[in-house]
Amino acid sequence: MATSMHLSRLRKWFLASPPIEYAISHLRELLVGALKQGPVPRHVAFVMDGNRRFARTHGIETVEGHNLGFEALARILEVCYKSGVQVVTIYAFSIENFKRSKFEVDALMEMAKVKLSQMAQHGDLLDSYGAKVRVLGRLDLLKPDVLEAVNRAVDMTSRNGDRVLNICFPYTSRDEITTAVRDTVSEYSRPLKPIQSPSAGPRTPFSESHIALNIQAQRTEHNSDTESTSGSSEDGNGNAKQDRNRNKVYESGSSFSSSTTLHLGQQDGPNTKTSTPLTDGTDTDAPSFVSPETISRQTLTDHMLTKDNPPLDILVRTSGVERLSDFMLWQCHEETEIVFLNVMWPEFDLWHFIPVLLGWQRRISKSKQNPDAEGDFDGDGSESAEEDDGFVLRPDNKVKGM
Amino acid sequence: MVSQRDQELFREDIRNRRRLSASERESLLKPYLPDPSDFPRRKSRKASTSRKTPVRTFFKSQIHQLTYTIIHIFFGIAVRLIQTYHAVVDRIFAIVYYHHRTPELIRKDVKGLKRLPEHLSVILSLRKEDDALAVLMDEVAELAAWSTASGIPTLSVYEKTGILKSCIPTLYELVTSKLSSYYGSPSQQPKLQLFAPHHPVYQTETPTGADTDKSNRESLTLLLLSSTDGRETFVDLTKTLAEMSQNGKVSPQDITPELVDAEISEITTHPAQSGTDGDGDGDSVFVKPEPDLLLVFGPFLKLDGYPPWHIRLTEMYCTGDTSNGLTGYGEAVEYQGFVQGLWHFAGAQMRFGR
Repeated sequence: MATSMHLSRLRKWFLASPPIEYAISHLRELLVGALKQGPVPRHVAFVMDGNRRFARTHGIETVEGHNLGFEALARILEVCYKSGVQVVTIYAFSIENFKRSKFEVDALMEMAKVKLSQMAQHGDLLDSYGAKVRVLGRLDLLKPDVLEAVNRAVDMTSRNGDRVLNICFPYTSRDEITTAVRDTVSEYSRPLKPIQSPSAGPRTPFSESHIALNIQAQRTEHNSDTESTSGSSEDGNGNAKQDRNRNKVYESGSSFSSSTTLHLGQQDGPNTKTSTPLTDGTDTDAPSFVSPETISRQTLTDHMLTKDNPPLDILVRTSGVERLSDFMLWQCHEETEIVFLNVMWPEFDLWHFIPVLLGWQRRISKSKQNPDAEGDFDGDGSESAEEDDGFVLRPDNKVKGM
Repeated sequence: MVSQRDQELFREDIRNRRRLSASERESLLKPYLPDPSDFPRRKSRKASTSRKTPVRTFFKSQIHQLTYTIIHIFFGIAVRLIQTYHAVVDRIFAIVYYHHRTPELIRKDVKGLKRLPEHLSVILSLRKEDDALAVLMDEVAELAAWSTASGIPTLSVYEKTGILKSCIPTLYELVTSKLSSYYGSPSQQPKLQLFAPHHPVYQTETPTGADTDKSNRESLTLLLLSSTDGRETFVDLTKTLAEMSQNGKVSPQDITPELVDAEISEITTHPAQSGTDGDGDGDSVFVKPEPDLLLVFGPFLKLDGYPPWHIRLTEMYCTGDTSNGLTGYGEAVEYQGFVQGLWHFAGAQMRFGR
């Protein structure tokens, strides 16, 4: 026990000595610069798990563990942004975390407040680096003072451009999905504004009397085929009218019982207010909606909190817990590579992240070479292995030569 | 890389021993910030710097390129070595742990485990060969047999294209015959229920005489999922809710996570009931909607369109990094992968928000 403590102290002293520190920082820079040469993920998400367990195993206070976790976050953000990742999403606080001890929750909130308000003090610095901070989640669950700090930081950086840091603050994915569904529904149940609003009155695209007049005029011109044209045109007229009635409510017919009441409302204008509860007094016409059939996966995706971010490429969870814990369920369910690492978040650094990035780069560049392989490591079988070995041999010699 | 001295300063600041002012913090931070000219936004300045040091910039990019190549070469070698190692270990496991089509052996393999998943979910993928469907159905049948033998009551199989749903009767026959090769005569076979969302429960009429010893037999519920049960379900739900809301039957405020959860769970737990009221227990299929363990038979952990709602607390285990390399393709569904997944699951520490 004592020897290991001495060893770790020696190691710390060694790493802290100026030449070693200098060398390591240059090595990091070199590695990040090298990573930049290949394909770089555009959106990376982190679940910062293990702060408390790290604190427990190292005999320090939980709050201190969270502070160390924040340092780790700063380190990894530096790596991400320097290597060209556009969006980083972090899971800072789950709605479920409110169940933790009050002391810890308060400490976390205080930390968030302090960090965000410190950030706001450096507005110009943030401006010059163009990082945008966004806080995703149920902001209404926050205390007013924290909320104020959040809003200030978000406002201050909202004009910045290309790099985004998403902080999922009181967040769960189920809540996000539900909110997206709710927003979509309320958007679709908002009646469309009539297009010719200044000229009030029921919508009459074509006046029937005018059509009748036209037909009569045609009849008088061509006396020869009166019977057939009048018959068919009248039929067409009727059909068109019915269609229009239907289209006003839904583009494609619905099987709902209230469609009858809507028809009623259209036929006798003044009775609408009493017969249909939907029509508000100002509209004499039945309200028209966007058809729900136009809702697609993209519609829902556009209502998620991460709407204008690129698709999630990598999700990293530290501390060896192998579940998502209600994080990014919607976003990571297709092509995202999910990685579970067996390190505590405060220890997480470039050295743990590099293998993940390299593996991803390897897979992506392979799938670019042969799109049929669907990005599998080994979907392409022995052929590529040989190819790979051949590739390996040549530069290997070069390396030895150097 | 933050130097030790600055780190100490920073930590002092946090511990409230000595508050740094904004400008002090900025000067502490300055050396670690990248040169603003590195950013593409400042085109003009970047151009000027690169004009100032063209040679240095060139060499820098060359060095980075070279490092990138070298790193990837070594990484490739390392990956190959690890894969080979795992493949060898995997073969050994495959020999040591073989089920010999004996349920007792499988039961012995999982006997010491602290916990077993109540609902196991598996992601399979359809291959490109001609007999892909046959291979896939055989894999499903094997998995069903292993699950029953190890005492897992529910197995759900996710396959992206949904081809399995179109051949439920065939699959049922196949699974039954597989079970009979494990268990022997039909009277000792576990009861099997096979269904997919929006499909009726498929099960053959059991002879009434066999009902007496039904209680002590195992049963397995097999659920087939495809990518249409994922995001598409939410689209359908939203459509219905939007229609109802347009007709004033529901207000958007009524949409809560509980409602969504109930609706989404409905699809996977209560299959469409049509004509299955022959015997009483046919209708009462209950499936725990959230899988406890998700096994991914693939080279890396990718959900590939798996229904997103129910996996928030699901443990995930990917067999891929252990079973590729020498075998050629990593997607092989093999018994040792299955057992390893179960072991892994039993060793995990359960923590949820607390």
